[in-house]
Amino acid sequence: MWETTIDGRTLHFHLAGINNQNFIMHDEETGSWWQQVSGQAILGPLKGRQLTRVPMDEISFALWKREQPRGRVLRPDPRVAKHYAHADWEAGIAKLPVATRISDRRLAFRELIAGITVNGRSKAYRMTDVQSQNPIIDTVGGVPIVIVANGQSVRAFSRMVDGKPIDLFAEPETTSFVDASTGSEWDFAGRAIRGALAGRQLQRIEVLRDYWFDWRAYHPDTSIYSAGLMRQRS
Amino acid sequence: MSRRLLWFLLLIIAAIALAVVLIPALVIQPFRPQSPRGLEISFALKRIAPALTIVTLIACLALIIKLWRGAHWSRIALILLLIPAMLSAWVARQNHFEWMFNPLAQAGYVTANAAAFVSDSDLVMAVARNGEAAAYPIRQLAYHHLVQDTVGGVPIVVTY
Repeated sequence: MWETTIDGRTLHFHLAGINNQNFIMHDEETGSWWQQVSGQAILGPLKGRQLTRVPMDEISFALWKREQPRGRVLRPDPRVAKHYAHADWEAGIAKLPVATRISDRRLAFRELIAGITVNGRSKAYRMTDVQSQNPIIDTVGGVPIVIVANGQSVRAFSRMVDGKPIDLFAEPETTSFVDASTGSEWDFAGRAIRGALAGRQLQRIEVLRDYWFDWRAYHPDTSIYSAGLMRQRS
Repeated sequence: MSRRLLWFLLLIIAAIALAVVLIPALVIQPFRPQSPRGLEISFALKRIAPALTIVTLIACLALIIKLWRGAHWSRIALILLLIPAMLSAWVARQNHFEWMFNPLAQAGYVTANAAAFVSDSDLVMAVARNGEAAAYPIRQLAYHHLVQDTVGGVPIVVTY
């Protein structure tokens, strides 16, 4: 998700093609080609320029509606509604061939990961790990982080509070988390809702839900989270 | 110039007209890997295609007029050679990716509670800026691939 204004000019984008299964868009104003996943112009007069990332979230509709009851939702375009993906479309996509120049098979190409980048360091977390270990406590780019899951919804936060990292644990039977030092209760939005830290807000880190091959293509130095590694260390 | 040379020229120009639109379409195919060089060539060809295919079309027409006084079969051949020249001039002005994935004619929105077309478990891309919140259902985005909007006064493009 990108801001479309660059040098005071607002660009208007169209689909222009595909580059190793990540789409290319072109802007009406200059005709430059932009890579969807990176927001970077790869060809044309604006080559090398970077669009500003818009902080976004990929979460379930139920969760979004609960958090943003007054928000608005994009309506289907009736002319093409029949072409929209089915509810189980990810299962279908998983069977499609992969065209890529990537040969890194540490994970299966179509394995779904949650990717984050902190201080220039990228790390991929298998969705299956994110869901089964919820929450994942880790450190990326020198920043202590936590990754939380709620079904398919995934969020990441810095877990620094007053200059000190907190450790979070899932609270059974709820979607909340509890920190080890104060026992405060934190919700899925990273807000402390009860306890000594009530009212505090953890800083968000953007998560990209992606296939391994696509994440790896645009984050060549990425590491992969090994489930259980943090526990062994401590 | 000899008629044979004119015929040869016509064939070459018709082939160029076709290549200019066919090469980018063949390089940029889903489920095929693309190289940076291939993309660079495709981009350059797409940039010049609208003008170049007009030039090749005019050149083909001029040559056809010059070669018209000939046998019946040769006139049929001339017409057949005009087809790729016309076709490429037309294709150069189309975006076939937008045939496959129609852009939103006009993005419309409903309130969260009225959005019966999304189920609770469906994923959405969500943004909140300056007190305004918007959600874009992934099942719609997976088709359109991009949606332009202004949220909290900021013009954005939602990509998937």
